[in-house]
Amino acid sequence: MIGFIKKDIAMIKSNFKLLGILFIAFTIMGLFGKMDISFILAFMSVMIMISTFSYDNYNKWDAYALTLPNSRKNNVKSKYITTILMILIVSIITIILSFIISYINVKTINYEQIFISMLDTIFGTLLVLSFMYPIIYKFGIEKARIGIFFIVFLLVAIGGFLSQYLDLSLITKLLLSIENYLALILIILSIIIVYVSYKISERIFNKKEF
Amino acid sequence: MENILEIKNLCKKYDNFELKNVTFNLPKGMIMGFIGENGAGKTTTIKAILNIIKSNHEELKIFGLDNCKDEEKIKEEIGVVLDDMFFPEILTPNDINNIMKSIYKTWDSKMFNNYLKKFSLLSNNQIKTFSKGMRKKLEIITALSHHPKLLILDEPTSGLDPIARTEIINIFQNFIENGDCSILFSTHITTDLEHIADYITFINNGKIILSKPTNELLDNYGIVKCTEKEFKNINKKDYIKYQKTKYEYEILIENKKDFKTKYDISIIDKITLDDLMVLMIKGEE
Repeated sequence: MIGFIKKDIAMIKSNFKLLGILFIAFTIMGLFGKMDISFILAFMSVMIMISTFSYDNYNKWDAYALTLPNSRKNNVKSKYITTILMILIVSIITIILSFIISYINVKTINYEQIFISMLDTIFGTLLVLSFMYPIIYKFGIEKARIGIFFIVFLLVAIGGFLSQYLDLSLITKLLLSIENYLALILIILSIIIVYVSYKISERIFNKKEF
Repeated sequence: MENILEIKNLCKKYDNFELKNVTFNLPKGMIMGFIGENGAGKTTTIKAILNIIKSNHEELKIFGLDNCKDEEKIKEEIGVVLDDMFFPEILTPNDINNIMKSIYKTWDSKMFNNYLKKFSLLSNNQIKTFSKGMRKKLEIITALSHHPKLLILDEPTSGLDPIARTEIINIFQNFIENGDCSILFSTHITTDLEHIADYITFINNGKIILSKPTNELLDNYGIVKCTEKEFKNINKKDYIKYQKTKYEYEILIENKKDFKTKYDISIIDKITLDDLMVLMIKGEE
C-alpha cells in the first residue's frame, strides 16, 4: 500500500510549484484582505485530490494498478490515507501562516479562534471529499465532476430556499448548546463520515471492471 | 510438460461481444503469440486472466494457482504490459522505481536503472516527454524489473517503428533465456511472432480457433493455389478454408504431406501467420 501512497504523493509533488504559488497568493490575500486563510485548506485539498484522480483516469492507472500485487485492497485505502495525510500537512502549514498573518495584522495571536476555524474547515473538507470519492469511484472523474457541481448547486439552492421559510434559530440554539463539545463532536463525526465513505468506495471498487 | 498458464472454458458476455469457452495452455519456458484481428477478444481474455474483469470459467490457473484466490501471490510473479494503461504521465522513471520498491518484494532497482541507461531513458524526465516507443520501453522494463516468471503483454509492439520493435523483441528473447520464464504476447503484427513465438493461439470473434506449436503450424499448414477445375476435385474434408482470387483459388490446408499424396497439385506455398489469419477470418468453408 505504501507504494500506492508514494504514487499519489509523487503526483502531488510534481505540482509543487503551482501549489507554492497558490499558497503565497492566498497568504498575501490574507495579509491585506484579512480573509480567513483556513479557506486555503478546503480549496487546495479538494483541488489537489481531484487532480490525482484526473491523472489516474487519463493514463488508466486503476486498470494497470490491478495487475500489481495487493491492488484491489489497497487502491482505495491508499487514496483515503493520502487525503488525510495531505489535509494534515496543509493544516499545519495553514496554522503556521494563520499565526503569522494574525500576528502581523493585529499583533496578537488568537489561538482558540484559529484552531476552531481550522477544525471547522478540516471537517468541511473531509465532508466534501467523503461525499465525492464514492461518486468518483462509481462514475469516473469526468462524469463525477459534472455531477458534483450539479449536486452542490442543488444543495445550495435547496438550502437557500428552505432558509427563507424555516426558523433557523433552532439550529443556532442547538449549535450553541453543544459549543463546549463542538471540537470533540466534529472529530468523532469526521471519523464516522470518512469511514462510511471509505467502505462505500471500497465496495464500489471491488465490483468495478476496467 | 508443466503449464504455467491453464485456461479452460473461459466465458465473458458483454452486450455486443462474447468470449466463448476460451481454452488454451501455455507451457513453461515458452513464448505464446496470441493473435487475432482487432476486437477478436485478445484484450478481454488478458483482462480476465488478470482478474481485471470478472469472468466465468471452469479453470483459470497461473503457476498452478487459482487466479482469484491466489491473486496476490500470482501478481508478485507476473509482469504486465497493457495497451495504453500505465503510470500517470506526470511521474518520472525515478518515481516509478521508488514506488515499485514498495509494491514488489523482489523489485530490482539496479536492473531497472541499467535498463533505463541501456534504452537511453532519462530517469528524471516526466513520462509525458517520452515518445511512444520510449513509453513502451519504459512499460516493458517496469514489467521486467521484479524478475517475473510470466510476462503478459497486450500489443506491446503496436504503433512502434521496426527498430524499436526489434529492440523490444530482443528484450523478450533475453528474458526467456534461462528457460523458467514464459511470455503470453498478444499482437496483430504477426511477423514479430514468426521469429520468437513457440506457440500460436488464434482467437476470432471470441472463440479460440487454433492453439498449436509455431513449427507445427508453419511446417504442416500450407496454401494450395489451383484452378477452379482443380478446386472442384478437392474433398471438403481436406481443406480448412478457401478464397477465390482474381486468377486462382487459394486453399488453406492443415497437412501438406497428406495433401500431396492425395492430389496432384504442385503449387503448395509455405504459410505465414498473416496468410493464416486472413484465410481463417475471410475465407469460406
